[in-house]
Amino acid sequence: MLLACKNDMRLLSHNHRSRPRSRAHRCPVIPALAVIILISAALLLPRAAVAGSWNVELSLKRDTIEDAMLMPSALFVDREREQYYVVDSGKNRLLSFSRQGDLLHVFNAGGSLKLPFDMVRTDDGKIWVVEKGRNSLTMIDLKAKKTIPNILESDGRAVYPHRLETDGTDLYVLDKASGTLLVYNGDLVEQQRIVCEKCTFGFFDFKLVGKSVWALDRLARKVFVYAGNGTLQQTHDLGDDVTYPVSIAVGPSGYLYVLDRHSRDVAVYDEKGAYKYRFLQFGIASGQLYYPAEIRFDPWDGLCVVDEGNARVEVYRR
Amino acid sequence: MKNSLVLFFAATVVLCGMSPAWAGPNDACYTCHDRDQFRGRVVHKPVGTGKCVTCHNPHVGRYRGMLSHEGGRLCFTCHTGEAETFRTGIVHEPINRFECTRCHDPHASDRNGLVRKNLKESCLECHEDFPERYRFTHEPYLSGDCRACHAPHNSERPMLLVADRDALCGECHEPEDLAPKHRNFPGTLRSCLTCHSPHGSDRKSLIRNYLHEPYAEDCSNCHEAGSGKVGVSACAGCHGDVLEQMQATHSHLTMQSGNACVNCHSPHAGDEKRLLLSREKQVCARCHRPSIEKYKNSPYRHGSIDNCTDCHFPHGGNDMAMLKGNGLEVCALCHENQGKFTHPVGPEVPDPRTGRMITCITCHNPMGTDYKFNLLLEGKRQLCVQCHGEY
Repeated sequence: MLLACKNDMRLLSHNHRSRPRSRAHRCPVIPALAVIILISAALLLPRAAVAGSWNVELSLKRDTIEDAMLMPSALFVDREREQYYVVDSGKNRLLSFSRQGDLLHVFNAGGSLKLPFDMVRTDDGKIWVVEKGRNSLTMIDLKAKKTIPNILESDGRAVYPHRLETDGTDLYVLDKASGTLLVYNGDLVEQQRIVCEKCTFGFFDFKLVGKSVWALDRLARKVFVYAGNGTLQQTHDLGDDVTYPVSIAVGPSGYLYVLDRHSRDVAVYDEKGAYKYRFLQFGIASGQLYYPAEIRFDPWDGLCVVDEGNARVEVYRR
Repeated sequence: MKNSLVLFFAATVVLCGMSPAWAGPNDACYTCHDRDQFRGRVVHKPVGTGKCVTCHNPHVGRYRGMLSHEGGRLCFTCHTGEAETFRTGIVHEPINRFECTRCHDPHASDRNGLVRKNLKESCLECHEDFPERYRFTHEPYLSGDCRACHAPHNSERPMLLVADRDALCGECHEPEDLAPKHRNFPGTLRSCLTCHSPHGSDRKSLIRNYLHEPYAEDCSNCHEAGSGKVGVSACAGCHGDVLEQMQATHSHLTMQSGNACVNCHSPHAGDEKRLLLSREKQVCARCHRPSIEKYKNSPYRHGSIDNCTDCHFPHGGNDMAMLKGNGLEVCALCHENQGKFTHPVGPEVPDPRTGRMITCITCHNPMGTDYKFNLLLEGKRQLCVQCHGEY
């Protein structure tokens, strides 16, 4: 049998054509190896397929020191215009990129922006910017060439805007000081407030998913899902699979993606909140994270990660 | 013949039974090692049963003392339950470093638990900035009963407390005794440690040494009658500059309701001027424990970091991780000459991977890494070829 195996190996190694031998003389080692390889592949493939298939498709960045972003903090994606908007907090400016990743515009509102942190564009074409430097939700009307700062109040207290989202009309503002999510209409009249009664320090990030609101309690490592009317529907406990979650996104399949600033990776949970896998790693090279700040899906199923430490936004796709 | 056999077996049994007394393994050891050094009121079981070889190899050993494992790892080969339970929650630093013998004698002691010295002496050996006693000293501290409040190995609570703070005070101090002494206190008595030191103080009733001015003058400076709540705006009335510092890209302005300032500061009294709720690292660890654990457990890390605020702003900052400047400025606070003779750094030197300028933290992470000099990657090649791929 050993001799038969030896011959088989030789045949394999020389790709030698020869008359097939009878079944009785075939080497059992090769079929056995094939079975082992098949079983191993069957066991390993699903993990490799999910964990290894996210690749960098776009890198939104500037390559020279003069142009390089400094502390990008947020990304807004305009589906209609097919544009990415990056908030470059360190250089007090907003940058727009095409869907293909080409730089379109650099905008700083005539040098008046002071520590912009997040932004959205509403359906009426207005740009709303969270300016941390002046604690303002600033409205920029490009057509009218107006920039109007707005200091918000809620329940008799100053609001310190942190994260900002829009459904096209209303503005969802996360108040850093209270950790409360406040909903304003376009005239900045408060419509609704979502308070996390169970949180230590309130919410740190949130995303609108259809009509529901997904909000992250960073310290408790929990994600709360609220219906449009503010009713708590679900709670996902992220457990010890994340160290310092700073941002969340919900994928097209309903999976929850959690950006971990300290582990420098993305942890993925299924619709029921069960941990599935994680990807990305610490580093400075493309496809790696240094001090990631925000995560979101673009309308074309790309997963965008804003990396403050690496001064870029990378779009991953599989 | 039968009798002879019985006699033979009986003699064998007696001799075997006697053997530890005169020919056991310990005796061989004690021919050189002074037996008196292994005597005490409490003797470690392997020593008492003459099994020195449980821990020591008599011929050769990889570790000091010819031990079969290093430090506490050896202890955990028998104390397997403790190996599990002692490493959960917040772990006392000696346990973290497998240094059981810092507190315990592995052979014998006159104290329970084979503790080397009396409890207070043991604790103050490392916690050397704590005095023997204060002008006014809390009774458990004075009597050396640190374990009245702190767990020696691990705990789920900060500062290894054995119970939540107020509950811990309540174990000895009955509410009905305290009520007459706190007549104007709004609502239920709580947050004892915002005024009182649990160890000792120069003031009666263990009121902490540094008093917040408005508190020293009159409670009504901040509190409306019958209300315990004071908002950030009240603090900002005097400390407006701090609120401005918090209007930054990153800040500690965060609180569900009430007052963000009291996350870290006592509004009443403290052990130092900043009126922090406890020592700085402990205050930061309340939220940033993973960072501190990483720092503690990294094989290579920046030495001599006494306080987080040596490098980080406490209230708010516009750089990553609220550093006191970019990756050059913050290091230059101490390393004045570093940028002048090392690898080119600064605004003229771009990192080809990101376009940003190269700074100290492009290659080093003072919070700890697996590589020498706190390098982010192995420094002989791996780190360099990140940018210098042509080599």
